[in-house]
Amino acid sequence: MENFVKLHNITKIYKMGEVEIRAVDGIDFSIHKGEFVVIVGPSGAGKTTVLNILGGMDTATSGSLVVDGEEITKYSARQLTGYRREDIGFVFQFYNLVPNLTALENVELALQICKDPLDARTVLEEVGLTDRMDNFPAQLSGGEQQRVSIARALAKNPKLLLCDEPTGALDYNTGKAILKLLQDMCRERGMTVIVITHNSALAPMADRLIKIKNGRVSKMEINENPVSIDEIEW
Amino acid sequence: MNRKALRKDFYMEVRRSLGRFLSIFFIVAIGVAFFSGIRSAEPDMRVSGDAYFDEKNLMDIQVVSTLGLTEDDVHALEKVEGIEAVEGGYSADALCTGNENESVVHISSILPTMNKVQVEEGRLPKAADECAVDVDFLEAGEYKIGDKITFRSGTEDAITDTLQTDTFTIVGAVSSPCYISFQRGSTTIGTGSVDGFVSVPADSFDMDVYTELYASVEGAKALTAFTSAYDDRVGEVTSRVEEIKEGREAARYQEVIDEANSQLEEAKEELEEAQSEAEEQLAEAEQELEDGQSQIDSAKAEIENSLNQLAASESELTAKQGEIDSAKAELVSRQSELDAAKAALETQKTALEAGNITKDETYQAAYQQGYNTALLQAYEAADAELNTQAARIESVITQLKEEIQALEEAGDTGEKLEELKTQLAVQEAALAQINSDAFRSTVKEQAKEELDAAFPEQFHEQYRQQALEQVNGYLSQLDTGQSQIDQAQAQLVSGQEQLDSGWAQISQAKAQLAAAQEEIAEKEQELIEGLSEYEQGKTEAEEQLTEGEKKIQEAEDEIGKIEHAKWYVNDRNDAITDYSGYGDNADRMRAIGEVFPVLFFLVAALVSLTTMTRMVEEQRTLIGTLKALGYERHSIAGKYLGYAFLATVGGCTAGVLIGEKILPYIIITAYGIMYTHMDIVLVPYNLSYAAAASAAALVCTMGAAFFSCFKELREQAAELMRPPAPKQGKRVLLERLTFIWKRLSFIWKATVRNLVRYKKRFFMTVFGIGGSMALLLVGFGLQDSIFNIGVLQYEKIQLYDGNVILNEEADAGEKQEVYDSLQADSRTDRTAENLLTQVKVHNGENKGEVYLNVPENTEDFSELMVFENRVTKERYSLDNDGVILTEKMAKTLDVEAGETIEIQDDVKGEIPVKVESICENYMGHYLYMTSELYAKLYGKEPEYNAVYFKTQDGTTKQAQGIGEEILENPGALSVSYTTDIESQLDDMLGSLDIVIVVLVISAGMLAFVVLYNLNNINITERKRELATLKVLGFYDKEVSAYVYRENIILTVIGGIFGMILGNILHQFIIVTVEIESVMFGRNINISSFIYSFLITLAFSFFVNGVMYFKLRRIDMVESLKSVE
Repeated sequence: MENFVKLHNITKIYKMGEVEIRAVDGIDFSIHKGEFVVIVGPSGAGKTTVLNILGGMDTATSGSLVVDGEEITKYSARQLTGYRREDIGFVFQFYNLVPNLTALENVELALQICKDPLDARTVLEEVGLTDRMDNFPAQLSGGEQQRVSIARALAKNPKLLLCDEPTGALDYNTGKAILKLLQDMCRERGMTVIVITHNSALAPMADRLIKIKNGRVSKMEINENPVSIDEIEW
Repeated sequence: MNRKALRKDFYMEVRRSLGRFLSIFFIVAIGVAFFSGIRSAEPDMRVSGDAYFDEKNLMDIQVVSTLGLTEDDVHALEKVEGIEAVEGGYSADALCTGNENESVVHISSILPTMNKVQVEEGRLPKAADECAVDVDFLEAGEYKIGDKITFRSGTEDAITDTLQTDTFTIVGAVSSPCYISFQRGSTTIGTGSVDGFVSVPADSFDMDVYTELYASVEGAKALTAFTSAYDDRVGEVTSRVEEIKEGREAARYQEVIDEANSQLEEAKEELEEAQSEAEEQLAEAEQELEDGQSQIDSAKAEIENSLNQLAASESELTAKQGEIDSAKAELVSRQSELDAAKAALETQKTALEAGNITKDETYQAAYQQGYNTALLQAYEAADAELNTQAARIESVITQLKEEIQALEEAGDTGEKLEELKTQLAVQEAALAQINSDAFRSTVKEQAKEELDAAFPEQFHEQYRQQALEQVNGYLSQLDTGQSQIDQAQAQLVSGQEQLDSGWAQISQAKAQLAAAQEEIAEKEQELIEGLSEYEQGKTEAEEQLTEGEKKIQEAEDEIGKIEHAKWYVNDRNDAITDYSGYGDNADRMRAIGEVFPVLFFLVAALVSLTTMTRMVEEQRTLIGTLKALGYERHSIAGKYLGYAFLATVGGCTAGVLIGEKILPYIIITAYGIMYTHMDIVLVPYNLSYAAAASAAALVCTMGAAFFSCFKELREQAAELMRPPAPKQGKRVLLERLTFIWKRLSFIWKATVRNLVRYKKRFFMTVFGIGGSMALLLVGFGLQDSIFNIGVLQYEKIQLYDGNVILNEEADAGEKQEVYDSLQADSRTDRTAENLLTQVKVHNGENKGEVYLNVPENTEDFSELMVFENRVTKERYSLDNDGVILTEKMAKTLDVEAGETIEIQDDVKGEIPVKVESICENYMGHYLYMTSELYAKLYGKEPEYNAVYFKTQDGTTKQAQGIGEEILENPGALSVSYTTDIESQLDDMLGSLDIVIVVLVISAGMLAFVVLYNLNNINITERKRELATLKVLGFYDKEVSAYVYRENIILTVIGGIFGMILGNILHQFIIVTVEIESVMFGRNINISSFIYSFLITLAFSFFVNGVMYFKLRRIDMVESLKSVE
């Protein structure tokens, strides 16, 4: 599906007193449905801002964002919440699990609110946590926590899975495993996954690579033959 | 903090987290204000009271003696070491009847300097017949300034025995330091309780000795009343006064006995005098009566006499009338006769005047007779002439013979003799001729001839003249007759008049007599009366004399019975009504102060402690950074300690400054409702409480800051830079109960876990909310307990609406009439007659005064009075085995049902009686027994002196209507209405009400601050979690609900905890706050539970509402960006 996600001239300006900081300065790109997208760029390039705008956590100063035919940039705060609720799955660098809930309950927390969820246990089994479902986050390793986080995002059966540095707090192997999980999900479920990373080494695994620099898209390329994460070393 | 950067950071910290700074500031301020303020109320009350008493120069020691006190006693007392000054005063209790009700007043003299009364209106009395009256008593409306007030003693003795006069003019309204509240003390007359006091100048009393002495103690004024320092000082002097007591008592006794004896002598003399006087008077009276009798008798006789006379006069008058009438008739006939005669005479006269003489037989006869007579006369005259000539010749012969003889004898013969002899012979011859008949006949013949010639004419004329004269004589006689008749006529008229007046006089006299008779009858009646009076007087006099004798006898007995003088040395507590009550109130305030503020403060301290702890925890990273930069530990900790210090000290200062002024002021002013005239309010700063509260607050916040910092600083810098290891999620107990857990929705599971997880927050919140809730509940509960008693007492226990006190002076019939008319009144539902009297009871050492209530009819009485166990609600009824005692008194006496107490009686001494059961009661103390039991215990039938009545519709108006009517009966003395008492009660307890309002408001404020603070902390602490929820697509409402759910559960748990805590506190406080004669309710109304819970909930919701905005403002991006 062409232009499942379409950003047109998105800008985000923070005003700090007299100074205007253009965190995002006119970004244009579009993503097809089912693509595994990697957005790379140095720190402060505006990747996270773009992701936040994509996920409805933040609003653009100007420009338009269309997701699945809906113009998100015109949404009210409440509509945005609904958008997050129904269409978006988030995976954070620091997992952001609710510490007081077990792995399963953390997934269920998300399922409470959406219309067409997947089964929590199935999803957790899929992410390889069959045995750890009843453990609290503090009892899980970082990778396991991130798996729960992914499971929580996936279980909502979102249109978009947005991952902000999902491996940033993980060691190499675990990080790789997580990326593998994400890639597999994309491939198997046909889910559109957008991953932000500062690690350019991950570029080959993406269907579409977007490079952002100083709030602008410096380069966007389509990878006709993405490689499996297993083949990438960094 | 000697480094600029750190200092700047500190100031920035305060500015940035101004909310937190202020929340510590205020929570400390409220806590300290409440703690030190409520605590200060107690000493401030004492100080204010003391200032008032000092201003009024209130005595410290009072000495009362059963036999009065003399100047000697004053001097003796003055000499006691420690006594500064002594003043003597007089006092007496009296009855007076104002507009409607009879009242009992305590009259006392105004002292020179002590116990100064305060003029509220008007002025102080100056003259002996002026008085100033209790301002509260005047407000009751029986009297007003300018009225006259008349006192009666209420005993057999006249009031004028004690006072100069019995009627006074009210010139002013006053208050007295001796009567600081509503109570006016008790008395032996009237209703038994004094309604007001009256101040009069000392001159108004007519007494030889003082009734009481007042003394001030050296140095006592400088001490604060109601403190042990004062009590000790006065106690010390009091015991010294007790030492001189015995000597003075004996001296006074002797004095009184002597005086009494001399008085007795006087009395005896007086009696004797009276006896003789009485006899004299009786005798006089008797004499008078007798005089009266005789006067009446003579008067009667006189009247009888007069009557007779009157009768005689009447008959006389009648006779006279007859006479007059006949006289009149005669007069008339005479008149006619006279008139006829007159006419005849007039005819005759006319004829005569004409010369016509009728020569009728009369004339002939008269003529013949006249002729004969004239002839005879002419003969006689001739004879007489002849005789006279003869006699003259004879005398000449004689003379001649004598001269012849004389010459013959003288011998002279001469010529002379011869001449003489010749003359003699001539003379003798003349004589012989004269004497010769012949001569005589010739002479007679001659005379006859002469007569015949002259006589017929002479006679005719003579006859006519004579007849005319005769007619004229008749006519004049007729005139005389006429005038006589006229005179007689006039006499008759006047006689008639006299008769008429005589009749008038008679009738007048009759009337007079009748009046006199009446008067006499009256007099007689009077006399009879006088007699009976006399008899009566006599018996009376005799009786009086006997009585006098008896009295003297009694007096003699009494002198024998005069008890030894007894001194009562009283301090203020004993002498002044309600004085100790004020102290008790201060103590009560302390009791409240010991519980309320502590709890309050505890909550405040814990909350500020949590806030500080949280602050340090929040700044973990900063601490780590500073530490990593190489700052010393104390420099880092200094910031937090300084922060806590600044906020706490600021809060303490504000709290002390405001709290110690406002709260004691409110409380003392509130008590002012009860102590209306104690107008001095002193609220000095009590530094000890301020210091204690501040120190405690400082220890809490600084300690919290210190320990938190210490904990953090112990860790390595690197460790601090990392986020704290998140708390482990834990399975809660509830999860083991799978059947419940399974049923819980997922969100509820999370809520339960969260609650259990943040245990500190859980307990803090529960304690905070629970504490506030407890304070609210105690506040409302106090109000319930206090305000309920009116309702409980008069709507659940004493069901009657009014109580008519019978006049003891009235006779049985009059009393019965009161009862009957009450019963007959259609507006009354029920009535019950009973005996109501105050008695002293004791159980071992525990003593008390109760109203003994003996109902005449137990059945009726049970309709007006409910005997019930407060807890078990078991109903009791009176029987002859024992008495029913009210709860508070049972507690005071420390008796339980089935135990025995003793009633003190003047006559019977100690009467042991079994307490059958103990009943619920709130106002006053009562001891109920049946009349049979009374008769058994006291050996006499109860004299019923009160009638309870209940109206049909239970309104005050109706009760008052009945009361007003019944008061017109001489048998009714006064009426009291339960609604009156209820409102009086409300006044009395209104003061506590304000204290309660203060408590409730403070507790509410505390609840708010606690909730706000804890919620704030909760949200800040869980910002990340909440942001996550938002990212996951939770709507604002859902996010809020997630938090609220916990808050509501915490509020509910806190509320339940508060109810339990509040109930316990309430029980404790209610017992401490209670007044002696009153039992407060032990219960808290369900509504109060609901109210305080609702208020807590309302605060909770309000705080949650505020939090909603805070939750909305949580920025997902910022919150999730990185780990702090």
